Amino acid sequence: MSLILKQPTVLPGFGLTLGFTLFYLSLIVLIPLAGLFVKTSALTWDQFWQAVADPRTVASYQLTFGLSFVAALINAFFGVIIAWVLVRYSFPGRKFVDALVDLPFALPTAVAGIALTAVFSVNGWLGQYLEPLGITVAFTPLGVLVALTFIGLPFVVRTVQPVLQDLEKEIEEAAASLGATRWKTITKVIFPEVFPALLTGFTSAFARALGEYGSVVFISGNMPMRTEITPLLIITKLEQYDYAGAAAIAVVMLVASFVLLLIINGLQWWSGRRQVAF
Amino acid sequence: MSIEVRNITKTFRTFTALQEINLYVKTGELIALLGPSGCGKTTLLRILAGLEGPTTGSILLNDQEVTDRHIGERGVGFVFQHYALFRHMTVFENIAFGLRVRPRATRPPDATIDAKVRELLKLVQLEWLGDRYPRQLSGGQRQRVALARALAVEPTVLLLDEPFGALDAKVRKELRRWLRRLHTDLHVTSVFVTHDQDEALEVADRVVVMNKGRIEQIGTPEEVYEHPATPFVYDFLGGVNLFHGRVHEGRVQVGDLDLALREQGDIPDGPAIGYVRPHEIDLHRHPGEEGAIEALVGRIQPVGAVARLEMVRTDNGELIEGEVSQEQWRELALSTGERVYVRPKSLRVFPEPVE
Repeated sequence: MSLILKQPTVLPGFGLTLGFTLFYLSLIVLIPLAGLFVKTSALTWDQFWQAVADPRTVASYQLTFGLSFVAALINAFFGVIIAWVLVRYSFPGRKFVDALVDLPFALPTAVAGIALTAVFSVNGWLGQYLEPLGITVAFTPLGVLVALTFIGLPFVVRTVQPVLQDLEKEIEEAAASLGATRWKTITKVIFPEVFPALLTGFTSAFARALGEYGSVVFISGNMPMRTEITPLLIITKLEQYDYAGAAAIAVVMLVASFVLLLIINGLQWWSGRRQVAF
Repeated sequence: MSIEVRNITKTFRTFTALQEINLYVKTGELIALLGPSGCGKTTLLRILAGLEGPTTGSILLNDQEVTDRHIGERGVGFVFQHYALFRHMTVFENIAFGLRVRPRATRPPDATIDAKVRELLKLVQLEWLGDRYPRQLSGGQRQRVALARALAVEPTVLLLDEPFGALDAKVRKELRRWLRRLHTDLHVTSVFVTHDQDEALEVADRVVVMNKGRIEQIGTPEEVYEHPATPFVYDFLGGVNLFHGRVHEGRVQVGDLDLALREQGDIPDGPAIGYVRPHEIDLHRHPGEEGAIEALVGRIQPVGAVARLEMVRTDNGELIEGEVSQEQWRELALSTGERVYVRPKSLRVFPEPVE
């Protein structure tokens, strides 16, 4: 390594930029997160355990992680379809649809939450038709899922879209000329090409859903044990001036998210390795 | 398997890409579709493959109508200019693809696929690269993998779209010799598209010269080179000098030159264009009895088997290119700026097209 660093290079400034990067990341990311652990250390192990293993808190973990995962899966599936349609077909209003995809990015999440609640409440636009069918969206876990799906949608579309765009038409023609059916072409040729990007999009959507707060609090109704998400629980603790307790739950979320992202990154490395292996 | 193209016309909105194309390819032949870009040669190849449908006309393979048949059912192998290899598969899996995607009933067992792929890897001389990925290969190697992949399904017709177009000159030369040998061994009916006349003349049994959606001439490399049917073919196949002149009672006059039209007595009197290749030019230090075109010697390139020189006509300033053997060159001992008299050994005359 030191050998490489000493070599004269046409891209100078490595030391300076690396130094700045490390400093900046420390300032913005690492130090605040470390503060979290420091804050938690005010608790004894017993108190810590009580804060994080409380049945209400455990229920919120299950809800948050479970629904975030399901929402990311839904987004992965429909995101690929949307990206496919946007790349492959030209139709009037395509640009408009393309712009619509970014809306969940741009909209303040609280606004999204209020809008979703209004639409899906028992006498809302959609809610009134779903109610007779026995489907209640607002103030149920299903409502949380709708909100998490809404805010995660752009991630998959925006990561898969450029990859689909770069996919040469000739590759599909080659597969067809070799006798592959359309289905085989999609599963054996197109999907493997798109998979790494899809995984990235899935991860981003999942991570985004884990931390989502604004849009969920309105539509969920925040019923303890049923529709209460972990970020809300942290806020509740903060409002009760239980800073250490809030930090303890935050630490659990942080570690769990980190481990999950690590696993997905590992998957990504594994699927990407097959393409760039040397 | 023979290929027959009957009255194929293809239009894209208002643009006519192909106009009433008729072509017959015999079993085991190697045919080149040659022409400048935009002449419709690739479109014709894609229609043969079934990647595109003709607007009107029909395609017959072995006397069977296949115009509406899907590409997968035509039994054609297609090699793309930019290889179109599957990036996420190894070379081995790329070649095996066509066999692996067959429906279960007709899919060969794994051991057979394995043996077949190994055989093909050997054929394209890439035995040791089976477990590499396409991006780890050079352009020439990728193109050979693409060819092996197309051959794996045992096509009865092999179609190649500018197969060497993206490669550098040396690799191109190697690969086209290799393709020629491969065709001699396998004898599968093949059609390839190229814009490089050397490639077409060297590799193909017959050359189809195309221009603006029409076929200009079909013939063996000798025929199209020695006896071009149209001014376009003359112009497109190799360097050529062009003389504007007049035809009068079986003789053609170009400047001070007056030549008899030998086999071409059917040219009507009037303005005409004469074509002559640079090596079909005689150079003299004195005007002969038949008359010659006077010119001044310009740039000289005496390197190689022949000496090339550029001359400027004294009467109208047009450029003439000439090639003479080294022996002749020493005899003439010309240098830049000297006066020279140019006489074509043979002049191919076409009536001047009416604009």
